[in-house]
Amino acid sequence: MHPNADVLQGTLDLLILKAVSLEPMHGWGISQRIQQFSSGVLEVNQGSLYPALHRLVKRKWLEASWGTSENNRRARFYKLTAVGRRQLASETDTWRRFSAAVEAVLAVNSAVP
Amino acid sequence: MSRLTRAFRWLRALIGRVSDDEIDEELRFHLAMEADLLERDGMSRDLAVAEARRRFGGVAQHTEELRDVRGGRIMENLLQDMRYALRLTRRFPAFTAIVLLTLGIAIGANTAIFSVVNATLLRPLPFPDGDRLAILYSQNPDKSLPRFSVSYADFLDWRAQTRSFSGMAAVTGTSLTLINDGEPLRLNGQGVTSEYFDVLGVRPERGRLYAAGDEATETASEIIVTYDFWQRQLAGDPNVVGRRLRLGTGQRTIVGVLPRAYDQANPNVDVVTVLDPTAIPNVENHAQHMVGVIARLKPGVTQAAAQADLSAVAARLAEQFPQIVGWSANVFMARDEATRTLRSPLLVLLAAAGLVLLIGCINVVNLLLTRSTLREREVALRQALGAARSRLIGQLLVESGELAVGGALFGLVVAHFVLKLIVSRAPAGLLPTGIALDWQVLVFTLALAVATTLFAGLWPAVAATTPRLAKALRDGGRSSSGGARALRARRMLVVAESSLALVLLVCAGLVIQSLRNILAVDLGFDPARVVTMRVSLPGPRYTDTTQVQFFRNLQSRVEGRAGIEALAAANTPPLSVGGITTNLRLVASARADGGKVMGPVTAITPGYFRTMRIRLLRGRDVSWSDAKPTIVVSQAAANAYWPGESPLGKRVGFGPRDTVGFEVVGVVNDTRARGITVDAPLMTYLSYAGATNVARTMSLVVRGRGDAAAIAATTRAAILEIDRTLPIYNMQPVTQVIDASLGQSRLNTTLLSIFAMVALALAAVGIYGVISYSVTLRQQEIGVRMALGASSNNVLALVLREGGLLAVAGTLVGLVGAYFATGLVQSWLFGIGRADVATIAETAGVLVAIALLASYLPARRASRVDPLVAMRGD
Repeated sequence: MHPNADVLQGTLDLLILKAVSLEPMHGWGISQRIQQFSSGVLEVNQGSLYPALHRLVKRKWLEASWGTSENNRRARFYKLTAVGRRQLASETDTWRRFSAAVEAVLAVNSAVP
Repeated sequence: MSRLTRAFRWLRALIGRVSDDEIDEELRFHLAMEADLLERDGMSRDLAVAEARRRFGGVAQHTEELRDVRGGRIMENLLQDMRYALRLTRRFPAFTAIVLLTLGIAIGANTAIFSVVNATLLRPLPFPDGDRLAILYSQNPDKSLPRFSVSYADFLDWRAQTRSFSGMAAVTGTSLTLINDGEPLRLNGQGVTSEYFDVLGVRPERGRLYAAGDEATETASEIIVTYDFWQRQLAGDPNVVGRRLRLGTGQRTIVGVLPRAYDQANPNVDVVTVLDPTAIPNVENHAQHMVGVIARLKPGVTQAAAQADLSAVAARLAEQFPQIVGWSANVFMARDEATRTLRSPLLVLLAAAGLVLLIGCINVVNLLLTRSTLREREVALRQALGAARSRLIGQLLVESGELAVGGALFGLVVAHFVLKLIVSRAPAGLLPTGIALDWQVLVFTLALAVATTLFAGLWPAVAATTPRLAKALRDGGRSSSGGARALRARRMLVVAESSLALVLLVCAGLVIQSLRNILAVDLGFDPARVVTMRVSLPGPRYTDTTQVQFFRNLQSRVEGRAGIEALAAANTPPLSVGGITTNLRLVASARADGGKVMGPVTAITPGYFRTMRIRLLRGRDVSWSDAKPTIVVSQAAANAYWPGESPLGKRVGFGPRDTVGFEVVGVVNDTRARGITVDAPLMTYLSYAGATNVARTMSLVVRGRGDAAAIAATTRAAILEIDRTLPIYNMQPVTQVIDASLGQSRLNTTLLSIFAMVALALAAVGIYGVISYSVTLRQQEIGVRMALGASSNNVLALVLREGGLLAVAGTLVGLVGAYFATGLVQSWLFGIGRADVATIAETAGVLVAIALLASYLPARRASRVDPLVAMRGD
């Protein structure tokens, strides 16, 4: 995979939910966390990130509140709600099945020639 | 606006709902953190901030795909599209101007014609359930008389024996003379059977109307006046009911005033009285066609059912009464009858306006296609960035919608002026007053605008977003194969609009030639400086003898006066359509029919031919001193009645049984006495002097030297000197009679010609557009040709040939269309066939010439291109 590949459409929500599942986090932190988790492979563009964050808030999967960042800046923190937690579980499950299926298909293809 | 602010604004707009400040703060935080990180990696603070900003700015490029993710913002999209479209109109001013002009003219023409249609064909009769009112006629298919007046005897039997009508009434025209303080005034009256107003469903404005059962004898001292007469002659007197009118020798009391709506349906009526059947001679004779019949269909009864009912009754009557053998009856709906003369021309003009609109739309499609080709790259880019196809189509539709609305607004202005032209040019009485662009027309215009949007907007929208975009991007928006495909489509459009334009041109050409033919007709008399007027000599004061005396006296008085050359009288005015046609008996005729003929007859006083400048070819004029009436015939009548013989000394009887008749003393040249476009009739002129039972109302003709008003004033004064109680009316120059009879065909011709010219202009714009486009596409090819030695004349010919071929193709298709379309205007044609080769060749020539002209500009541009520049392309 290309090192700077954009996050696949549809998986961004899952990644965000996963990133904030450990602790409440601000937008920049979330983008950094995703990059770190994926060892730099996945890069979240802020043009996608912020609309997604606000969309998730609107769906009540995330809660937003203002707080202070690690270097004393005022920042908006996002926290997983109960609904969001359930959603994370089900999306994770879906993703695993999906990627396993893709994996299986690729394995078949490589065996043919 | 910096890239950063723009990016912020985009994101704010995308996220929405949350306050702008909060979003800004959140995004600034992000930026600061990013800069911190970069600084930690060893960048200077300034550089780090700049780099963070740069990375963030890239965000704007992704907004398009994100917008659609958000969804649910249709209104905002629409507003954005509209703003964008408005910006575009400023970017392509020529394009916008041409589209607005095209749509404006096309929509304007349609709106104007539709306004007239709306005010005439679509307007219901001003009576309750007016669509159930029918007019009943006697008809005789053998004599081609579909609409003939009805005998009172027939009327009584129809009313008694039919089952389809809830009411039936008879009406006749009457003429009354009102003696006011000043001059005598002739009134147009109606004599109606008493149920008439019940049948119409009219309620009185003032007083009361007649009710079923009222007899003429009971109402002999009563009269009802129309609203218009009340306002005009009685100054809207609030106490009008009960007022007395002096009419001729008697008096009548006004019992009621009709509502204004009655005038709309029956213009030029002053008063209404109850019909007196005993005043009709031979009233019990079923062949005495004297009255008009109006009836109301019972609810649920169709016109066809009523026709069958009435036909059966009429057939029984024709069996019963031998004098009406061959006669039947017709039921026509009153509303159709009211608009009969207007219907066909209006529908033709509506069709013509529709064609103009169609051509206009094709042009707009063509122009939008051009623009969408220019914008192919932009559309491709936006689609690649994630804009949904539906979103792009929506935006393009909004663009063309804006143009359509603009066109509709401009069209209303155009419509206003076209309508003004129609109303001012229409002959008096043809159109109802008060035709205006009303709200219904406004709705119609808006509907047209929407239809135009869908028609003109959808195709380019689809074409522009068809998934061949990756290619368009690669080709840098100059996709040659896509361009060629678009060019083919556009050529077809141009052929289509040229063919439609040709259809209109051929029709207009034929109609113009017809009008020329009509204007060139030799009338057989000289209408210049002749004034005509009607005068009524009331009985019993005037007898046959004193009537003749009156005209002789008048002639000798007036002809001596300054400015007057000649005066005479006839019982029909010049160019009277219809006139009097009667049974003649050519005495001692050798013809197979025994000399029994039907022929037009006019009673004249001596001097009529002199006054009208009709030339006496043989014999002499009728004379005041003739003891017995004498006869003069027209050349055509002489040839038809007595072929190869001298008509002088022959005798003509009136009525099939008259075997004595009167002597023919002269022959005059043929005249178009029954209308300009009616072949010169076989005229028999009967001397008025010496005749019995002569007409009481005569038409004077007066030839003078000065202007019409002076001639009329002199004559009027002389008449009133002899008898100051005589009503004089319908006073007008004969040239005006001619103009009035041509008014409608002039108007039709003018409008059709305007439509055809507009169509031609639009087709020229279309051809110009497609040839310019084609030249742009073929720029490299043309460059190669010129580099290989083609002269600029060769290139010129190459391009001109393309334009010419399009026009020729359009002409060929158009000829097929014209073959059908000319059938619609056939009834307008005079002295020319609908397949007139000269006219068709001429109009086709005009179309091709205009096409070549329209191709010339792009052709010249192509021929002057520098081959090196052209080959290099861009």
